[in-house]
Amino acid sequence: MESISKRIVLNMDNNNSSNWELYLKNELKKMNSNNIEIDCKDLNLSCIDIMSIIKISSKFNCTISGFFSTSPKTIISTQSLGYPSQFIFNPYSKKSVNKSDIISDQSKAHFHQGTVRSGEYIDSPGDLLILGDVNPGAIVSAEGNVIIWGKLLGIAHAGKKGNSKAKIAALHLRPVQLRIATKVARGPQEKPQIGLAEQARIFSEKIVISPLETM
Amino acid sequence: MATDTRVILICSGKGGVGKTTLTANLGISLARQGLSTAVLDADFGLRNLDLLLGLENRIVYTAQEVLEEECRLDQALVKHKQESNLSLLPAGNPRMLDWLKPDDMKRIVEMLKEQFDYVLIDCPAGVEDGFKNAMAASQEAIIVTNPEVSAVRDADRVIGLLNTNAIKPVQLVLNRVRPKMMASQEMLSIDDVTDILALPLLGLVLEDEQVIVSTNRGEPLTLNSVNSPAAKCYLNIAKRLLGEDIPLIDPVEESSGFGAKFRRLMQTKIF
Repeated sequence: MESISKRIVLNMDNNNSSNWELYLKNELKKMNSNNIEIDCKDLNLSCIDIMSIIKISSKFNCTISGFFSTSPKTIISTQSLGYPSQFIFNPYSKKSVNKSDIISDQSKAHFHQGTVRSGEYIDSPGDLLILGDVNPGAIVSAEGNVIIWGKLLGIAHAGKKGNSKAKIAALHLRPVQLRIATKVARGPQEKPQIGLAEQARIFSEKIVISPLETM
Repeated sequence: MATDTRVILICSGKGGVGKTTLTANLGISLARQGLSTAVLDADFGLRNLDLLLGLENRIVYTAQEVLEEECRLDQALVKHKQESNLSLLPAGNPRMLDWLKPDDMKRIVEMLKEQFDYVLIDCPAGVEDGFKNAMAASQEAIIVTNPEVSAVRDADRVIGLLNTNAIKPVQLVLNRVRPKMMASQEMLSIDDVTDILALPLLGLVLEDEQVIVSTNRGEPLTLNSVNSPAAKCYLNIAKRLLGEDIPLIDPVEESSGFGAKFRRLMQTKIF
């Protein structure tokens, strides 16, 4: 067994992106190493996708030592499954910008890991991704979207330079206050359903909360 | 001479949640376990740790004279009347705040470290200079909070500041717990508090009228009334701090009647 890990690049520029599973299998057949890293490029992969990558790799007796991606969604998926992963800034990633509007400007995206506590303030010139809770009294803001893998109990401001298409998404969305572009709304009073991820966005001049759509 | 002294900051952010009471009782409890313990009153503006310990009339010199080198450290230290392992270093007068710097606090703590196994620092309320001075000198911290939104909010702020100053471990003591109110969900539950603060719980202290009596008398609860509920809690916290594995009591179960007490006999709930 080789100790140096080899990298597989899931490069889908010339192919249909739904074929990545097939592509991965072909690459794995050619592999002579048991220890691999996977560069997912700009593919938006969910936790289920990542799990199936791991499943496929284990069939070929390969263990994955880490993931790379230019897609924040993929990084959130791999991180939440506990795999070492690295987010690569890619200003030319045209594909995912066009594909989904929730990921707007990845070149300036900020990634924060850990609880944001009362009195703390986090700001991002692009999107903001937080892996942890935002406690009451804390403020997080971004010119793009705010995505929180945790509880949002403080104040979140998305699209603060006026982007009214910006969204705020969280696993547990019960903020003190929500701000999108120039609109301000108080957070809902009732307790949320456990395990229901929600998003807030502007709909007919008002901030509305709905269950989180796939990004 | 102690080599691996633990310097523990006792802080809360909000005032009146029980920092000083915890410091006094923890000091007594640790001293009872045979550890030489110093309590340092870092609340120079509103000092009252000496009152709680009943040592007000024995103070001759304070931390101020030690820093100005007008006296030696052991002249300023006040030994407790009954618990000889416990010493108090009293806070100087409030005017000290004008010139006191974090480095001065570090100097005092370094001196105390040479003589004691445990140094407990009673932190002032707030997050201004007094808190920053006290924080500069400490290695680990205990956060005291009450099950109230305002106290929890302030504690959260303080934890953020402790984290940025690399003080760890930070542990949590939930003070003035009223089991009946918790059971009827009129008060924040333990889970509500630990969910937000995301800290390991070092212990709970039950609401106890005896605390007021003991404060006024200047005799910490743990000194005499070992049977009071709060005194037991303080003693358990001291033991957990020393690494003993003592299960926490479930206050909700504590509050309910005979049935629950009987069930508790059969099975001790640990969480």
